[in-house]
Amino acid sequence: MTLAYVPGDSLAHRLDPRTKLLVQIGFAAAAYAHTTPRELAALTLLAGGCLWAADGDLADLWTYRVAFPVLLLAPLVAGATIESPWFRLDRAAETALASYRVLLLLVVAAAYVRSTPIRDSRAALQRTVPGRAGAFLGAGVALVFRFLPLLRRDLLAAREAVCARGGGQLPARERMRLIAIAGTNRAFGRADRLGTALAARCFAWNPTLPRLSFGPADYLALALGAGLFAVAATAAL
Amino acid sequence: MIALESVTCRYEGRNRGDENGVDGGGTVAVDDVTLSVSDGEFLVVAGANGSGKTTLVRTFNGLVTPDAGTVSVNGVPVSEDLVAARTAVGMVFQEPRDQLVSATVGGDVAFGPENLGLSHGEIDRRVAVALDAVNMTDREDDRIDSLSGGERERVAIAGALAMEPDHLVCDEPFTWLDEPARESVLARLRELHAKGTGVVVVTHDLRGVLELADRVVGLADGRIVVAGPPHAAAPDLAGLGVRVPEAFDSAGGAGRPTDS
Repeated sequence: MTLAYVPGDSLAHRLDPRTKLLVQIGFAAAAYAHTTPRELAALTLLAGGCLWAADGDLADLWTYRVAFPVLLLAPLVAGATIESPWFRLDRAAETALASYRVLLLLVVAAAYVRSTPIRDSRAALQRTVPGRAGAFLGAGVALVFRFLPLLRRDLLAAREAVCARGGGQLPARERMRLIAIAGTNRAFGRADRLGTALAARCFAWNPTLPRLSFGPADYLALALGAGLFAVAATAAL
Repeated sequence: MIALESVTCRYEGRNRGDENGVDGGGTVAVDDVTLSVSDGEFLVVAGANGSGKTTLVRTFNGLVTPDAGTVSVNGVPVSEDLVAARTAVGMVFQEPRDQLVSATVGGDVAFGPENLGLSHGEIDRRVAVALDAVNMTDREDDRIDSLSGGERERVAIAGALAMEPDHLVCDEPFTWLDEPARESVLARLRELHAKGTGVVVVTHDLRGVLELADRVVGLADGRIVVAGPPHAAAPDLAGLGVRVPEAFDSAGGAGRPTDS
């Protein structure tokens, strides 16, 4: 499992990345405008549909497991008080719904990431945002998506190296310290090597971008994105 | 042609000098090297770990800037036109993972030509030719993560070839490879050289590669201490801490074996 593009021929793979970005943003707007359990249940179906359309499954969500403790702890922290009553369910429930909204956004994001090549994302951004700002944004997104899988692999390697020499028996805090130090060292080294690789291959701020074009399915998806914005707007009015 | 004139490269390190500024030159990785690599030549740069091989070849396309001396590619100083140098001198790193920057084979091979601003048709053509050269036709959609070490090496070579370089520099290309993968990469290098691409292989293990070379350069402590045709240079290479194939290892050399 990885935070990266997975080649395929699913519906989401065939969509233009600009369409997918619009649906994502529309989904986020709708999720933040409609917060009742019933509305979130409807958005859950839609998020699941997005992941299904990208040939993904719940295992893809595991990629984002680093966020799960925060999402789970947030309602507990929100509900806790320092005097009687020691726990306020209403606050906890409100924050739990907010956490759930974030989870839904991660589902939709996972569908986007697994169905969109990095250079298509870059092309979509550079064609949507004009001028140098678009070039900067596109290159930045491309670099982040290139760097994150490498960084993740380095952290896993550091953890394995710690465990291979008995580090698994150490207290969690000590293991975290060791992996953080090794991971930071590797991250700097990795960034240096990635920079060298990009230089060797003539990294350009304005390369030839992949062809992007809207197909019939895109118009349906664009309508979905616009509909989500409309739904969000109705709640705001 | 790649031409180096009195090139010296230093790294900051233990030898930083004292407070009076005495002997503060850092660690010398390449020491006053003059070298030229002709178009179409198969050059082997041999030496033990830390001898300066990688630093030397990284000056070829400006990945390392010399502290002294000049490097030029096709008559143009590298410092004046980095893109031209990096287009003319393709580089394959020791660890292919450091070089592969995309999720799929096709995306990665196309990365360089895209940066050159070529047309889509030309990019598609170059990707197809480069993948064909490394026997990976129809593997464009394969995930990089799913490839074996040898396949990654070949994709890295394809990525460099897609720039249509005059010279292909491979830094320790066999480090991570088992014997079949090593043979496969050697076969690809042999074919590329036969088609006229200059090849520079940096290695401390000369098995299989010495037979392909037109010339060998041996490095020690950043200096060229051995240079010449393989059969003439081989006897002196053994003293550099490199692995010399048995056919070349006897005193006076065994002559140049025929490729098989």
